[in-house]
Amino acid sequence: MTTESSNPYTPSPVSIRKIFIENEAKDIKTFELVFCDEDDRQNFKFMCGQFAMLSVLGAGESPIGIASSPLDDDYLQFTVKQYPTGVVSSTLHSMEEGEKIGVRGPYGNSFPIDQMEGMNVVITAGGFAFTTLRSTIRYMLSEKNRSLFENITVIYGARSPGELIYKSELKEWEESSDIDMYVTVDKGDESWKGREGFVPTVLKEVAPSSENAVMLVCGPPIMLMFTMMPILELGFAPERIFTSLERRMTCGLGKCGRCNVGSKYVCKDGAVFAYEEIQKLPEPIF
Amino acid sequence: MQMSDTETKLRQTAKELFTDGRIDVLVGYTKGTLPLRSRPVFITNAEEVDKLVWNAYCSNNLAVYLPRFFTVQAQRKKDETPPPKVGIIAKGCDIRSVVGVIKEKQAPRENVVIVGVHCAGMVDLAKVELLMGGERVYRSDETPEGKLVVTTRLGKEQSIEKEQVMADACLDCQYPTPDGADIIIEGTSKKVNEELYKKVDDFEAMSAEERWQYFEQEISKCIRCYACRQACPNCYCKVCFADQTKPKWIGAGIELSDVMLYHIGRIFHQAGRCVECDACLRACPMNIDLRTFTRKLAKDVKELFDFTPGLSFDEPPPLCTFKDDDSQDFITEP
Amino acid sequence: MKQAVIRRDALEDFIRSIGKDCMVYAPLREGNTVCLTEISSGGKIELAYANSKVPLKSLFFPQAETICTFEDGEVLNVHLPDEKAVVFGSRPCDARALRIVDKVFSEDITDPYYHARRNNTLIISLTCNDPSDTCFCTSLGGSPSGKEGSDILVFDLGEVLLFETVSEKGESFMETYSGSFQPAKKVQMKTKKDIASMAEKKVPAIDAEAVSERLEGSFDSPFWDEIHKTCLGCGVCTFLCPTCHCFAFDDNRVDSIGERIRLWDCCQYPAFTLEASGHNPRISSRERMRQRIMHKFSYYVKNFEEVACVGCGRCVENCPINLDLREIVTIIKEES
Repeated sequence: MTTESSNPYTPSPVSIRKIFIENEAKDIKTFELVFCDEDDRQNFKFMCGQFAMLSVLGAGESPIGIASSPLDDDYLQFTVKQYPTGVVSSTLHSMEEGEKIGVRGPYGNSFPIDQMEGMNVVITAGGFAFTTLRSTIRYMLSEKNRSLFENITVIYGARSPGELIYKSELKEWEESSDIDMYVTVDKGDESWKGREGFVPTVLKEVAPSSENAVMLVCGPPIMLMFTMMPILELGFAPERIFTSLERRMTCGLGKCGRCNVGSKYVCKDGAVFAYEEIQKLPEPIF
Repeated sequence: MQMSDTETKLRQTAKELFTDGRIDVLVGYTKGTLPLRSRPVFITNAEEVDKLVWNAYCSNNLAVYLPRFFTVQAQRKKDETPPPKVGIIAKGCDIRSVVGVIKEKQAPRENVVIVGVHCAGMVDLAKVELLMGGERVYRSDETPEGKLVVTTRLGKEQSIEKEQVMADACLDCQYPTPDGADIIIEGTSKKVNEELYKKVDDFEAMSAEERWQYFEQEISKCIRCYACRQACPNCYCKVCFADQTKPKWIGAGIELSDVMLYHIGRIFHQAGRCVECDACLRACPMNIDLRTFTRKLAKDVKELFDFTPGLSFDEPPPLCTFKDDDSQDFITEP
Repeated sequence: MKQAVIRRDALEDFIRSIGKDCMVYAPLREGNTVCLTEISSGGKIELAYANSKVPLKSLFFPQAETICTFEDGEVLNVHLPDEKAVVFGSRPCDARALRIVDKVFSEDITDPYYHARRNNTLIISLTCNDPSDTCFCTSLGGSPSGKEGSDILVFDLGEVLLFETVSEKGESFMETYSGSFQPAKKVQMKTKKDIASMAEKKVPAIDAEAVSERLEGSFDSPFWDEIHKTCLGCGVCTFLCPTCHCFAFDDNRVDSIGERIRLWDCCQYPAFTLEASGHNPRISSRERMRQRIMHKFSYYVKNFEEVACVGCGRCVENCPINLDLREIVTIIKEES
């Protein structure tokens, strides 16, 4: 394999070690990838919230949040939803374990992990935007790190029980005393014995304290729109609320101009932004 | 410059259309910021009618703007406002274009008021520049006799007859009168030139290899900016075949085969629909001779199906209909 | 700074002779269009032209370039451009525009393709004696004899052309080819000053002062509702703009062999920000036009402290519906 490591546009080869089907509709899959080149693996150092370009040669590239924890040393996980119109996601979903793709990254900034130390952490997430937050939860809950953070509260919801992702971990976290886990669905089914309710509603019910707390919130634009108000009402200050923005991207390096919003580039100055920063951005974010 | 008779009548008509409440917006022409240019303008009330002009630089085909008044935008706006009533200033070629756009359901007939203007032919800026040694016209004045006195950046001055620099589309125009319009502004149209399709005949007389070579030579100037497509009123597809990713019909770069396929696709999609207004040609920054190719298709359609687009709201487009006496040559004599 | 002259009738041969040592691009005409073309294609070098149709950026950031090739899932050798080249006859505004693109392409991570070409190319700009009616470089900090971005400036004095070095690279070039030049006489240097100052006065002025400040807080201003209406979204302004640099990647393959290419893209195209989910943050030409203007005159300024427009006038000249950037700048001033 001959790639110039100094060329930021050439992807590092990775092989698909395992594929997990996350949801009932079978259009959300987690891809576990291992680097083919040891140097590439060692050079790929990332923090929770960052993303990488998944490069499917012949189809194109897609910016996907890193779902595995930075402490998962020998592999990376990416959870990808297949869109019918998406060439990359569709090609990826048709691939099998053992096949090779490419990864470029890590790109973007991370959640403010340093700032979060010594504080309570509240995570609110909806749908399959849960990916980088799952990375964050795994990181915080690790033996190495748990003591650095105070209470960890997570409110996570999906449209229906079948659409919940990372189901085995959700169960684990619900049973753990290290984390207060609230899982909800917009509408349950016959076998669902858990909570029913939209994420913003459940957030209001749980009413996590904003005292010495940081809020990490991710979800589709419509969910963010309805969740921001209760978050602010709970007393979270705009500089303590963080979310991850999405924009169509090409280079991931702040050069191609596609993800430019105001004077920022979502790929470079984001994708994680404090709500305080978002309020200053000109274009409506959601 | 003295305002023409047509211009006065046009402004008066526009004023009445607004005061009578027949239209909410009028798409017309106004003075440009450059010599020998007029440009499109949207006016929304009677007070703005003095912005309207009518002269030999009103070449843009305004029908391209019609669909955008009637698209349904599925965003979060909960607008329940009914679609607007749109007036459109149109010369003969543009009227046929408007008919096509309405026939293809991109604008409802009852929401469009076609204000027809007699056309004496439009000046082709590219021809003026070529006459002046490829130089931009810095300044242009019109004499009372209707001659153009142009000055270039390098100070070269010349007096030109408008006929010398009339657009090819206008020289070949078969429908300069505004038939089919809802309102017709009084005036006189240019005479129809009987020498139909001469340059296309020359193109057809070439051998297949020569024709391909010419096509290749012209198309290799293309920078894939898509100005031709955007200027064409018939190119209203939400997703152009050239931009589709699933399936991917052609590559997006400037590989010659991809560029040629794009043009072949676009031009052939115009068969039976293209009114030869040359909006594509005028928009092209690289001066590609698109005209020869679009006209070749128009000629073929005329010969094979005896059809000229845009003359009737009712006549169905030839590529959507089948008649028993349609030519079968393409099967029997490929 | 060194100055030397060459006779006008010796220039063409001289430029062609450089072609033995490297690629040479010069302004060549085809009909109404002059482009910076590789000179081996023949044709006479134009000296009195207004500006090239396609800007200088196309030689460093080409319309299409191969990023990498691949086979069977493996990325193959990526070839970074390494040819030495000389550009003769670009205009100072285009050279200045290159510096604006430089800032983006070298911030944090360097774009290797662009920089390989930049490092390997010498730029000899031909100053303007007769600016166009659509030029407005002086209103944005430029000049028909501006040095920024060029290695050598050339002044057309009629019988002779005066070459003036700007950079070390330019000096090195002049030393290599010193045999083709004669020293500049005092009277020639004076003529150069006169021509340059006359040209400066000829450039039409627009009031672009403090346009970035005036754009501050104007995001929701109603004037955006009006100015975009006649825009066709045709992309000509962007493709012919010397500072525009947005791009896309496209993968082409036949079976398992293929390439990834980088292409020019345009923020005025509807699909520019279209996401796979179907959501498009810039749904209409109003948002897209606003983005273009704000990026050039406000957002870029916040990051790099200068306006991303050099006043070359190509967008004004080539817009099929005569949407005039100069007018927009004036409207912004009046509305704010």
